[in-house]
Amino acid sequence: MFKILIVEDDDALREQLEIGLMASGFSVCYASSGLDAVAAFEKNNPDLILLDLMLPGKNGIEICTEIRRNSGVPIIMLTARTDDSDMIRGLEAGADDYVTKPYKIEVLVSRIKARLRPLREALPLVVKIGAIELDTLSHEVRKGDKKIALTPLEFKLLLTLASHPNEVFSREMLLEQVWEYTYKADTRLVNVHIQRLRSKIEDDQEQPKLVLTVRGWGYKAGPE
Amino acid sequence: MIFSRITKAALERFRSSLQIRAVVYTASLSGTALVILGGVLSVSIGNGLFSTRTEQAIIESNRAKFTVSRLFDGVAGKDPWRFQRVLDELVPELESIGVSQTRQVAFLVSDSQSNPNNFSSPVSAGLDLSLITKDFRNQVSTIPGVQTRTVQVLRAGESTPAILIGQKFVLPGGLKYELYLLYDLYNEQQTLLFVQRTLVLGGFVTMMIIAFFSFLVTSWLVKPVQEAADASELLASGDLDRRLSVRGTDVAAVLATSFNHMADSLQEKIMAMDELSKMQQRFVSDVSHELRTPLTTMKLAADYLKEHQEGLPEFTQRSIVNLHGQMDRFDLLLADLLEISRYDATGVEPSFEVHDLNGIVGVCLAAIQPFADSKNVYLDADIPSGAVQCEVDARRIERILNNLLTNAIEHSEGNPVKIRVAQNDKAVAVSVTDQGIGMTEEELAQVFNRFWRADPSRKRTTGGTGLGLAISYADAQLHLGRLEVTAEPGVGACFRLTVPKRHNITDFESPLPLAMEKP
Repeated sequence: MFKILIVEDDDALREQLEIGLMASGFSVCYASSGLDAVAAFEKNNPDLILLDLMLPGKNGIEICTEIRRNSGVPIIMLTARTDDSDMIRGLEAGADDYVTKPYKIEVLVSRIKARLRPLREALPLVVKIGAIELDTLSHEVRKGDKKIALTPLEFKLLLTLASHPNEVFSREMLLEQVWEYTYKADTRLVNVHIQRLRSKIEDDQEQPKLVLTVRGWGYKAGPE
Repeated sequence: MIFSRITKAALERFRSSLQIRAVVYTASLSGTALVILGGVLSVSIGNGLFSTRTEQAIIESNRAKFTVSRLFDGVAGKDPWRFQRVLDELVPELESIGVSQTRQVAFLVSDSQSNPNNFSSPVSAGLDLSLITKDFRNQVSTIPGVQTRTVQVLRAGESTPAILIGQKFVLPGGLKYELYLLYDLYNEQQTLLFVQRTLVLGGFVTMMIIAFFSFLVTSWLVKPVQEAADASELLASGDLDRRLSVRGTDVAAVLATSFNHMADSLQEKIMAMDELSKMQQRFVSDVSHELRTPLTTMKLAADYLKEHQEGLPEFTQRSIVNLHGQMDRFDLLLADLLEISRYDATGVEPSFEVHDLNGIVGVCLAAIQPFADSKNVYLDADIPSGAVQCEVDARRIERILNNLLTNAIEHSEGNPVKIRVAQNDKAVAVSVTDQGIGMTEEELAQVFNRFWRADPSRKRTTGGTGLGLAISYADAQLHLGRLEVTAEPGVGACFRLTVPKRHNITDFESPLPLAMEKP
């Protein structure tokens, strides 16, 4: 049973969320302020975090940055703000996905399940792109001798691109294959995570050689 | 052609510049005064010269009379030979009297009967005798005393006025002669011309100096006015901090002071309004945000209830369904309200990307098809075969189209709805035309207003929020595009969205007509 950490300061909402998630078969723990969030994460070791952006004490973006320092645990932001800048900042801080209030429990559950689903593609053991090697069993990523820490989402994104070198993926295709959105979603999710991925694997982020932008279409893995 | 253009430009400049007008008026008025002054001076100087010369001529003429009398004294008619000698000396003698340089003399025999010895009529060399007319000779010979007349002679190739003075003599022996002295006014004429030239030149220079001074004075006077005009222009274009510097205590300083007062109070009012409007926008935005958390909880609860309603009493179940449905509506309303409040706060950041408009329209048509089917409305799409590339925020264009299509289907009363897509080199357009109930002029004027509904009873069928078209309008403006509408009661309505192909193009025509469908 997957354990989900809910970081939400509104008690009523948190309780209702717990009811909904438990009814959907998850086990739940919570933190009700920003200051407790990291401690609750370390104590409970959840499989996924639902993170409200507007929190007393410490806001969601700081928490996200802090957790990302040594964990790739899937993080889904819950945001009352549809303000794009906040949402983008959350994604840049390392959140994998976001859900805007008010949401339906089915939507939230399907977002959670998409993030928890293991990679189950019949793939070779090692996929190479340039100097990068992806081990699909251990989920380890190496650049030469150096180990690169990618979150599961970033791993899936890079693996999707790298296993079909030179094939162009539109943002919509990536949303569907990596994020498992079945309806139209925000393509900026893709843009932000491609940027994060590049910052980890490219020699020069401004001149990417591994994950290339195809203007007007989307992205593809580099020519090597 | 060029000349007329220059004239036109100069005229334009003259009309538009207060200063140039002031300078031109001052210069031309002082020029007129100078012309009058110069004329009067020239005439009076000319008259003065003429009368001085005339007086001098009369005096000399009198002196000549004595000279003639003296010469003939003693040769009275006895000795024709001596007489003739005196007569011969007479002209050179008379030519040399007095101070005037040029004087011509004619000593003419009055009538030949009294001249039996045929004495000659000595005349100065070069004297044009035709100047001494018969008329004047009559006058001289009949009237005693000095007679004067003004004539024109040629001097140095120029026609010059001259004074002709005539008097009669009865010489000893009864011989009648007439003495004519011609004084030309060549020198006086030259002096007068010189004076006139000096006057014209001096007048011209004076006028230029006056023009220059008036230019200096007017620029000094106009400067504060010009500054005030420039400042008002800037103020009107939004530079609310613009003020004038106040120097001294004259009328320009008063103008500057009152201008600054006006600008101050204007700025205060605008800032207050701005503040109020910002507060209001922030309030709407805050309210929308604050409502979201409880709304989420309520929705989650309602969803949960709905999912677990089995086995509950019928009324409870009905209540749950109502609660659930209304939560959704509330959700939509809040989303639209938030969107509008973001537009009001100009906090919208569009993400422009190149898209094929056909693709966007296709997605919208597919999405709306079930609703059209439920209303038995045929969607008749006229879409060009090639790609219709444009740089847009696809989400917003979809939202606009969705709105237009929903409205058209809802109001078409079962008639087909026509969808057209077209492009020209600068813009792309989509029009959605229904053949439904249409709208009156008054309704048209309000169609993009918030919470306005064509239906006076405000009956909701699709659960729209009443903000849809207002948001669509703002979405179109965000693309620097236009959302336009035409309608007629009973005929239908046509909404047309036109957006530029690149979001920096501002001047474009719509490739589609804004017109109702022919039935």
